[in-house]
Amino acid sequence: MAQAAAVAKPPAPPRRRRASATPRRLPYLLIAPAALLMLGFIAYPVLSVFYYSLQNYNPTKPWRNGFAGLGNFTQAFAHDPQFWDTLTFSAKWVVAEVGLQLLFGLALALIVNQSFAGRALGRALVFSPWAVSGVLTSAIWVLLYNSQTGITRYLADAGIGSYGTSWLSDTSTVFPAAVVADLWRGVPFFAILILADLQSVSKDLYEAAEVDGAGRLKQFWHITLPHLKDAIVLATLLRAVWEFNNVDLLYTLTGGGPAGETTTLPLYIANTSVDAHNFGYASALTTVAFVILLFCSIVYLRLSKFGGETK
Amino acid sequence: MKSSNRRSRRAAVAVALGSVLALTATACGDSGSGSAGDKGSEGSGKGTITFWDNNGGVRTDVWKEIIADFEKQNPDIKVKYVGVPAASVQSKYDTAIQGGGLPDVGGVGTAMLAEIAAQGALEPLDSRLAKSSLNGRLNEKFLDSVKSAGGDGKTYSVPTSANNGTLWYRTDLFSAAKLDPPTTWTKFYAAAGELTDQAKNRFGYTIRGGEGSIAQALDAMYGQSGITSFWNGDKTTVNDPENVAALEKYVGLYKKDTPSADVNNDFTKMVAQWDSGTIGMLSHNLGSYADHEKALSGKFKGIPNPTLDDGTRVQVSNPVDGLGLFKSGKNKSAAWKFIEFAASHEANSKWNESAGQVPANNEAAQDAWVQASEPTKLAAEALNGASTKIVQLPYYLPDWNTISKADNEPNFQKVLLGKMTAKEFLDTLADQIDKAQADWKKHH
Repeated sequence: MAQAAAVAKPPAPPRRRRASATPRRLPYLLIAPAALLMLGFIAYPVLSVFYYSLQNYNPTKPWRNGFAGLGNFTQAFAHDPQFWDTLTFSAKWVVAEVGLQLLFGLALALIVNQSFAGRALGRALVFSPWAVSGVLTSAIWVLLYNSQTGITRYLADAGIGSYGTSWLSDTSTVFPAAVVADLWRGVPFFAILILADLQSVSKDLYEAAEVDGAGRLKQFWHITLPHLKDAIVLATLLRAVWEFNNVDLLYTLTGGGPAGETTTLPLYIANTSVDAHNFGYASALTTVAFVILLFCSIVYLRLSKFGGETK
Repeated sequence: MKSSNRRSRRAAVAVALGSVLALTATACGDSGSGSAGDKGSEGSGKGTITFWDNNGGVRTDVWKEIIADFEKQNPDIKVKYVGVPAASVQSKYDTAIQGGGLPDVGGVGTAMLAEIAAQGALEPLDSRLAKSSLNGRLNEKFLDSVKSAGGDGKTYSVPTSANNGTLWYRTDLFSAAKLDPPTTWTKFYAAAGELTDQAKNRFGYTIRGGEGSIAQALDAMYGQSGITSFWNGDKTTVNDPENVAALEKYVGLYKKDTPSADVNNDFTKMVAQWDSGTIGMLSHNLGSYADHEKALSGKFKGIPNPTLDDGTRVQVSNPVDGLGLFKSGKNKSAAWKFIEFAASHEANSKWNESAGQVPANNEAAQDAWVQASEPTKLAAEALNGASTKIVQLPYYLPDWNTISKADNEPNFQKVLLGKMTAKEFLDTLADQIDKAQADWKKHH
């Protein structure tokens, strides 16, 4: 009887609930530390900036502190010509830098992707400026543009130009001079990313194209470039945001001068917050910069159909 | 599969872009919860205190010597030295006031005293000074400067040292050109022209066009105009017609008798350029003496700013350096002992001899090294002498740093480059100063 009962006993239900609960929670537990860190170090400061953008906040003048509403934004858009000047300069800087870095980076990547004697050394030389710290890069270019020790001094010794001049002190030459200094640092970034992607292009495609009679230019246009599209879009986008936020090199080279000619919006924000202690207004400017970058990034990704299949 | 790849690429770019953009938005945050309101305590007078040097690197060695002497005399107190570079000390204090981590004692010059005091971070020291062995032993003029800079008539730092505008000139070049030392403005301009030969890379003067240009321009301007007060009632005198004329003459030196690269000159570039050896004169304070000595030993001299032809010297006030006691300190009695020690005869003399500056301690100012160091001796005479009129700059205005730096340095460069007239520049400056003064008066 007891045996019959044992036989009739339905099988124990599978312990699915207990077995599946832990794996379901596990991913959340694993990402929790990172999520908390992100909340603490990114979300909180971001929200803090948004909050202060609606405040008058200057710790050295506490009598003026308080809710400002949209006053800081109105000030920026309607009454602050420096905001528009620095925003315009930032746009010019980003277009010039990213365009030229892409062009030279692509050219260098194509060159060092070829087989030739000393290719490893060539690659190392191409990539080396990226390994140099920003501070050192700035120091090198400060010396190169110095009126007593730099290029203009040697040109003056050779009878070209005058003594005591520097390309950084002339409003007509300061922009190209600063662009060249930053190009030296930025080109390797594009070259590295593009070279990495170039190496994944199948050789079969080029062989087939050659059989079909396609020249090198056609191969580049119809095989290489479409393959590189996503890498170029990503690199361009990241670099554009970095260049927009560029403060260190311009600050060291020119201090934003002469006469404010090379002051970018982030440099203006830094001056407004660090020097003038006007954290409310600087937060509003930062919020505007954030929205502009976000909008431009979304439009760029849409237009470039990033991640889409190439025909 | 392709769709999955596409999604993961999109996710990757979203994460990368999101992070980069988020970092943009974190660029200007402020915690808002200050530690400046902490009351601190007197403590036991023993233990460790933290000291921030406001010119770290340059003055580290001499401070370490002074700290070692102090610890020998006070074996129960340890001083933790933190050297903060001069260029970043203001933002370091501001960050600590808002976020915590202020030191017990810190170097605070009058140029930044008002901003720090306005945030409630510094302890008024009047009653401590009255009971201290330092009472009556500190230079009264320096004490007045400190009180004036604090903004509310209280003493927020113990003065340790004063700097002074100095005209450094090349004795060898002056001798070769048979020129008199540039003791008057007339001789100064004559020498600037005589020593310039641009085709041979020789210039009479180097002008400060970059960071820090405004104070130097004001010094030259008031020095020539002879106007002795910064205020005429509630209005500033910076745009007085005589000051406009003086500034026009001063900026007229640019490119004519100075390198054109000077428009970006901050103190480092300007001093390095002068020390490279092709320029006749440089206006800077006593602080660059050591650099000149290394590069041009025996070939230069430093004198106070030139006088008018009648011998009257007018100069703007230079920042007085000092030591502040922070309210939030948990061991204020030990911290005060350190301040008293550092401002005492021996330590103050040692520090100022190393820096080549004018001691705030009256006994230290009488020491033999002051008499032997000509630039310091002349500066001390100029600062204390009756024939020198000092135009007190409004360091007490919380807006002064902004007005004299971020707001107007680019405009001064425009004046040098001919894109703005001296009058337009000074009218703009005057308007900002008058508004800042009115705002300050309304709340004090």
